[in-house]
Amino acid sequence: MHGRAWQSAVVALFAFAAPAEAFPPSTHFAIHCQGCHGADGHEVPGLVPRLQGSVGRFLAVPGGREFLIQVPGVAMTHLADSDLADLLNWMLGQFAADEIQTDFTPYDAAEVHHYRRQPLLQVKKVRAELMGRIGAAGLPLPSPAD
Amino acid sequence: MEERNWIDKRVERLSRMVARGTSRRGFIGRVGAMLVGAATLPLLPVARGHANDLELPDDATIEGNAGNPESCEYWRNCAIDGFLCACCGGSTTTCPPGTEMSPITWIGTCRNPADGKDYILSYNDCCGSALCMRCQCLRTEDEKPPYVMWKNNDLLWCFGTKSRAVTCSVSIVLGPADGA
Repeated sequence: MHGRAWQSAVVALFAFAAPAEAFPPSTHFAIHCQGCHGADGHEVPGLVPRLQGSVGRFLAVPGGREFLIQVPGVAMTHLADSDLADLLNWMLGQFAADEIQTDFTPYDAAEVHHYRRQPLLQVKKVRAELMGRIGAAGLPLPSPAD
Repeated sequence: MEERNWIDKRVERLSRMVARGTSRRGFIGRVGAMLVGAATLPLLPVARGHANDLELPDDATIEGNAGNPESCEYWRNCAIDGFLCACCGGSTTTCPPGTEMSPITWIGTCRNPADGKDYILSYNDCCGSALCMRCQCLRTEDEKPPYVMWKNNDLLWCFGTKSRAVTCSVSIVLGPADGA
């Protein structure tokens, strides 16, 4: 009996320690992002902006770093802050290796926590402003959103 | 005019027999499906990089409806809402002839009873002709309400296709949901 009780306790512990969503960022990307962005971060013209070689350009201008957290597809994803920070860092490494600066500071849970709670009420307007700043800095523009 | 020779009668009887036992449309359909199927084989599935090295257990080893691709209980269909392309002239992973697979999909995970592992599934709508109306399924494992629209299967997911008319849905395995 004791043996069985121990077994149950150990099983329960493992079940608790390994929640269903304890995935690495690549798996989270597949489950939460890939449906629209594709595995390779390509563009669907008029619907889905390209990530590959494009998303990292937002980091070059003021406001861009926050935008990547606040944009609704990211901010509203059903992931904990720490998982979302890991996902953003993975995604930038995957799709923006050439764009991110050498002094890039990876996102962390606290920063994600802070900005995802400040919703973008005017997504298109903010995005257009960022595109304007990127253009004004003489940098190539990111993929259009629509 | 009633007087036909025996050859006429025999040929007539024979052709009527053949006509009763076969369907011309069915034959044309099968040939068409084979042609289109052969032509599209190199294009499938969406995530070939994953699919090529993905070792899935043989579905034929799964007993009951969970192993039958034309059943709503088929393991890959755990979150599908719509008509199974496998019953509509396509397959679990291919669209019927004359329809186009939507590049924008909704994604979930299902457990394969053959190995007890979870896999990432992409539900792509096939778009371009009328609703198929065969094998209508509604399963909602881990589906979310419409205000979480990217995890909702009530939507017609014909985005980025020439036609917005949904015909049926496929369930494509993208990879293991274990972080490999």
